Amino acid sequence: MDLFNNLIFGFSEALSLQNLLYCFIGVLVGTLIGVLPGIGPLGTIAILLPITYGVPPVAAMIMLAGIYYGAQYGGSTTAILVNLPGETSAVVTCIDGHQMAQQGRAGPALAIAAIGSFFAGTVGTLLIALFGPPLADVALKFGAPEYFSLMLMGLVAAAVLAQGDMVKSIAMVVMGLLLGIIGTDVNSGVQRFSFGFFELTDGIGFIVVAVGVFAIGEIVSNLGEAQERRVLANKVSHLFPTLQDLKKSWGPILRGTGIGCFFGVLPGTGPSIASFSSYMLEKKVAKNPDEFGRGAIQGVAGPEAANNADAQCKFIPMLTLGLPASGVMALMLGALTIQGIQPGPQVMTQKPELFWGLIASMWIGNLLLVVLNLPLIGLWVKLLQVPYRLLFPAIMAFSAIGVFSVNNSAFEIHLTALFGVLGFIWMRLGFPLAPMLLGFVLGPMMEEYLRRAMLMSGGDPSVFITRPISLAFIIATILILVVMVAPSVRKQREAFTD
Amino acid sequence: MPTVHALMMKAAGVLLALTTAAAAQDYPTKPVRLIVPFPPGGFNDIVARMIGTQLSDRLGKQVVVDNRTGAGGVVGTELAAHAPNDGYTLLIASLAITINPWFHKTSYDAVKSFAPVALLATAPNVISIQPDLPLKSVKDLIAMAKERPGKLQYASAGVGSFMHMGPELFKQMAKVDILHVPFRGAGPALIDVMGGNTHMSFASVPSSITHFRSSKLRALGVGSLKRNGLIPDVPTIDESGLPGYEFSNWIGIVAPAGTPAAIVTRLHKDLSAIQDSPELKKQFANEGAEAVRMSSAEYGKFIASETARWGRVVKKGGIKPQ
Repeated sequence: MDLFNNLIFGFSEALSLQNLLYCFIGVLVGTLIGVLPGIGPLGTIAILLPITYGVPPVAAMIMLAGIYYGAQYGGSTTAILVNLPGETSAVVTCIDGHQMAQQGRAGPALAIAAIGSFFAGTVGTLLIALFGPPLADVALKFGAPEYFSLMLMGLVAAAVLAQGDMVKSIAMVVMGLLLGIIGTDVNSGVQRFSFGFFELTDGIGFIVVAVGVFAIGEIVSNLGEAQERRVLANKVSHLFPTLQDLKKSWGPILRGTGIGCFFGVLPGTGPSIASFSSYMLEKKVAKNPDEFGRGAIQGVAGPEAANNADAQCKFIPMLTLGLPASGVMALMLGALTIQGIQPGPQVMTQKPELFWGLIASMWIGNLLLVVLNLPLIGLWVKLLQVPYRLLFPAIMAFSAIGVFSVNNSAFEIHLTALFGVLGFIWMRLGFPLAPMLLGFVLGPMMEEYLRRAMLMSGGDPSVFITRPISLAFIIATILILVVMVAPSVRKQREAFTD
Repeated sequence: MPTVHALMMKAAGVLLALTTAAAAQDYPTKPVRLIVPFPPGGFNDIVARMIGTQLSDRLGKQVVVDNRTGAGGVVGTELAAHAPNDGYTLLIASLAITINPWFHKTSYDAVKSFAPVALLATAPNVISIQPDLPLKSVKDLIAMAKERPGKLQYASAGVGSFMHMGPELFKQMAKVDILHVPFRGAGPALIDVMGGNTHMSFASVPSSITHFRSSKLRALGVGSLKRNGLIPDVPTIDESGLPGYEFSNWIGIVAPAGTPAAIVTRLHKDLSAIQDSPELKKQFANEGAEAVRMSSAEYGKFIASETARWGRVVKKGGIKPQ
């Protein structure tokens, strides 16, 4: 009953005209920056932070939160339409989402992304309201060994991501790992491959790599075959998903939501791991795994739900412990501090209007996003008919602005151009890009956790199997290996006896 | 002939002095850039934005806050060090500018590259430990560390961060061996202490205070010589077992070296007035920071002594990478 009363209280707070307006502004701005490549919620919230000085705390937080999850929605739009992840987490959506768009099914892809995100957002919001504090305590149980074992499981399962040429996929994972090494080694403070550039001491930004290889690389490589692509884009069959699409999607959406909530609660997992994991799982459980990479709607529904659930649940450590799980959450904490509020568990009791108002506004915001996005689908799809000579320069310009806005650094624009060239070469040679990005994201984190675990245990590797949570992940990893290797071994043997 | 030459040089010198004096009088004629070498949302950024708004009113020209992040503050600091010294570029300086040159091959010198303008505030660190560790004072901590050399671990925000230097100074003064476990940023470091993995952290007061209140962390001692207003019950490290220990982060404003003295004086006056404004006072109180007043010259000496002090700690501890 308490929860019920609290939620009613929250809704009465969030539905005040002023808060509703700020919520709407937030999700609208969020959607826009999500659509624009490279410009992420981090930069936008940073720019808008000073504006929140004069706004009451509840309204300020509602707006900033709206920008954050609005961007998750918008990010999938560019991923699907122009094969360009507007957001870190939308990389996976590119794989099948853009394939669907090429087959004239951009409408259903966009709609299922919105529906999946809405469902995941609703579950995530409920989870925060119901179990926020106990879940945060669970997250605290994750130390370096647990995170390492979890990531190990992720990387092993990533082999499923491999499409076509296995060797090329592994090569690209290694390429990603190598790129991830660049920067300061956390454990010793030593610079690795920074070549004296201070801009490289914090490593290469994800946005730089993603925009470079996807946006620039894709554009350059498309210029050679523009005629062919335009025909595909014009062949829009229908805007909304068919009954069969929905039937195929509800399973992935449910599973994706679960995965997203799991990773969202853990503050030490970066973005995009949730969506990668969901994609791998869907490909594994699908009846026709061959469809993946060729426009499977499950490959959009699952990861999109996962990434929105993840985004929503990142609020749990922030709201209940006052701990930032990501850069955006750190900014939100900063926003609270500016308002004179000490973030932490006492916010819930001392500022209930803020806590419950924000939670209620998240659900309202998610609803607004669906209402905002579904009618826009027709408009977005029309964007595909914009001639490339107009669309490409626009994408390039926005990408450059977006990349610059992350650190106000021109160096990163040059770096993006370099990755554009690399992306073009890789694309032409048929090297898949997603495994590279996975290696790039997971590699440095795995190294960091592994070395920290070893440092803390005094070099004793048994920590990974003496700690129960870590042991569970190690066992799961072995199981995945067995399940994955067994069929191919059997196939080979059959081929041999034939 | 040489006399003519000397005369011309003199005339040029007078002319130059006149123009700079005139420039200082007109100052500012265009927006002033205030570089923050850290990302938005942190303490440095929040203070910069508050000062930016108020300084804009006083100067009659916009003060633009420019976040130039990277390499623990080196990127923004280098940018400021090499900017024109005409008073239109200012830098939010903190403890980091005196530590970084000992860890990176910086192209700036914390003392020679900058004209000190004003020190604004200092904020102490606080030893935060796992609540169930059987320790009551800093004295107990030192005793336990001596008993189990190399076994107690502290979490930091990374190599060369102030969460690394504070404990390093502690180690050297107390002659104990505690293990450094670096993280990416203060947040993950504190999570790890709360989760019961690492034993302690020397963090800033605001980043730890909510966890003291919820009993997920326990405060053992603050690094300033006076107790801190936010946590008045917590003794200083100095009184609780390690006499003479003093470690605080600080925030101030510097300009590129060679910025006209008249402009520095003008800014110092304005900043001193802003220090007294209720907004900034409130913000400092929120952060457990204490406003400090120093003349520009004293501030310069302070930067020099801090730089030398960390140089000694880094050398003695043998913690310089490469």
